Amino acid sequence: MQAVSASPLILCIDDEALGLEIRKAVLEREGYRVLTALDGSSGLTLFSDEPVQGVILDYFMPGMDGGQVALVMRKQRPEVPILLLSAYVNLPQEVVTMVDFTVLKGEGPSELLAKLRRMLTNPHESGNGGGW
Amino acid sequence: MNLREFNRILRQTLFLPVLLLMVLAGFIVWEISRSSAELRWIDHSDDVVEQTVRLEKLVLDQETGLRGYQLTGDNSMLAPYRMAVVPIARQFSILRDLVSDNPAQQAHLADVRDRYQIWLGFAQGVLTKDAAVVNDPRMNQRGKELMDNLREALARMLTTESHLRKLRADAALSIERRELLAVVVSSLIVGVLLAMFTTSRLRRVSKTYDATLEELSRQAEEIYERRQWFQTTLESIGDAVIACDKEGNVEFMNAIAQELTGWTADEARGARLTEVFHIINEETRLEAENPVEKVKRLQTVVGLANHTALISRNGKEYVIDDSAAPIRGGDGEMTGIVLVFRDVTEARRSEAALIAAEKLAVAGRLAASIAHEIHNPLDSVANVHFLLENETDPEKRREYLHLAQQELGRTMQISRTLLSLYREPKAPVSVDLKELADGVLLLLDRRLVQLGIEIQRQFTEPSVVEGFPAELRQVFTNILVNALEAAGKGGRIRIRIVPVAAQELRGSGMMVEVTDSGPGISKQVEENLFQPFFTTKGENGTGLGLWVSNGIVQKHGGSIRIANNNDDSLTGARVRVYLPTHTIATASSRTTAYVA
Repeated sequence: MQAVSASPLILCIDDEALGLEIRKAVLEREGYRVLTALDGSSGLTLFSDEPVQGVILDYFMPGMDGGQVALVMRKQRPEVPILLLSAYVNLPQEVVTMVDFTVLKGEGPSELLAKLRRMLTNPHESGNGGGW
Repeated sequence: MNLREFNRILRQTLFLPVLLLMVLAGFIVWEISRSSAELRWIDHSDDVVEQTVRLEKLVLDQETGLRGYQLTGDNSMLAPYRMAVVPIARQFSILRDLVSDNPAQQAHLADVRDRYQIWLGFAQGVLTKDAAVVNDPRMNQRGKELMDNLREALARMLTTESHLRKLRADAALSIERRELLAVVVSSLIVGVLLAMFTTSRLRRVSKTYDATLEELSRQAEEIYERRQWFQTTLESIGDAVIACDKEGNVEFMNAIAQELTGWTADEARGARLTEVFHIINEETRLEAENPVEKVKRLQTVVGLANHTALISRNGKEYVIDDSAAPIRGGDGEMTGIVLVFRDVTEARRSEAALIAAEKLAVAGRLAASIAHEIHNPLDSVANVHFLLENETDPEKRREYLHLAQQELGRTMQISRTLLSLYREPKAPVSVDLKELADGVLLLLDRRLVQLGIEIQRQFTEPSVVEGFPAELRQVFTNILVNALEAAGKGGRIRIRIVPVAAQELRGSGMMVEVTDSGPGISKQVEENLFQPFFTTKGENGTGLGLWVSNGIVQKHGGSIRIANNNDDSLTGARVRVYLPTHTIATASSRTTAYVA
């Protein structure tokens, strides 16, 4: 395991508790520090309280959906990159352009980890536009 | 012209000539009586002349007797003289009566009497004298003078009366002439009048007769034209029409009916309807009831049973929709039966296509949920797989495998629920409505959670009815999707499943009631709820959901009632689906055969 201070802090928001736990385990194995939230509003609280360096955001959630959460985050700290994770293919275009990367659930952990890595090293490079 | 007028004319032509002829006869009788009065005066004159001549003759007889006595002195010579005395007196009396009306003749008669008296005085003188003296020439001369005077007076009287008679005869003649003329003229006038009158009446009758003939021929033509019009109209109708007599023998068939039955009108005329119009039950393949018998029995308009198929003469089969009605005469007696039907095979196919489209639309509406429900566990399984690859701790590996198992179980459940939307048994089976509702709620769970909708379940046990589960699941998916879309974020939906007791018109069964907290239904929307292609969701709806749902529920022998709920805090729409415990549905959607 890498030094705690060196590993990036990732905020992971998803209403699927089980899936969220497993995803957290995957990310931690890769050396990330992970904060989890089961809905948009508690995620936003963590986002403003903690020095989050990247966000993995589910789209379909009760209460605020991923698009609404991303909008608030962009207003607060636009430099923090957001990766939108969704099981649904037809995401609204304005949401897709707002976030840095999108990953479809089911694409597998390697895809997710690769995109996360790229996003953290090159925060201003958008993966969207050519992907899907 | 009506019969009354004709009779009036008939009476006129009978009575008017009789009346006219009676007037003419009266006139002639009056004329004749006038002329006969005149003729009586002639007879009177003749009488006067005759009596005068008779008087003269008697007087001459007396004179002759007296002369004889004068010449011979023989008393026997006086016999005529004496015998004439009484008749002469009588003659005078008769003549006095006869001329009593004529003063001139009265004067003449008086003159005759006076002169006779004078002569008679002379004669008495002769008789009283000696026989020797009586033949004295002077005396003779005296007697002759007196007699001449008397005869002169008599002649005057005769002349007067003859003149009178001539005048009277002339008058009678002229009256006769005038009468003749009057009779001829009046007869002519009456004749002409009668001719004119009769002609006018006859002309009137003949004119009316002509008009009547014309009217009759016009009516006949009109009737013919109307008949043609009806015939053409029936021929042109887009539906098939067969008319038959009350015995059920075909009398008329239009073009469409000929096309569908495969019989020509000429072949079919007089044939039994059952032979021409051969219908069976589409599903059981048994003969369907003869509509003629049905109409005779019920004496009213009847529709054919559902699933009726017509087998044409060449073996082609048409699904038909039809009605049969009695044809009634003016007295209300049934004189025949008319059958109207149409080929609904194509309509059935389109309907089936619409139902299939709606099934796909339901799947589409569920797509977001399904994607989530399947991709979420799959994502987790992939993640677990990744973790397992690098994990050596057996405890951890077991934990990961257990997680993967759980997630895969969820996927299986979702896919089973999804499949059951489309797999259907051939005959109705027992369906637990509670389970069915839970399954639908599971598919919708994602959206319900996302919208934060609170679901209240009020289920009772048992809640089993007979039916086709996939179709019923489609119905409840539709109703619940409508409810959750109406309720919106933070809304509430209550689902109640309660048993209902048998009522007069329906058996016992279950009622599923879905009430939402949405805005409810407007009056205008309410009227169109079950119409195909009616939607309040714009491009997001097909407008077929409730139409198909209603069809499915009706097929099960149930009903759907939609109203606004006013009972409690849920103020939105309230949908009540009643399903009988024992369904009348015999097969899954009748349309499946066409769609596959």
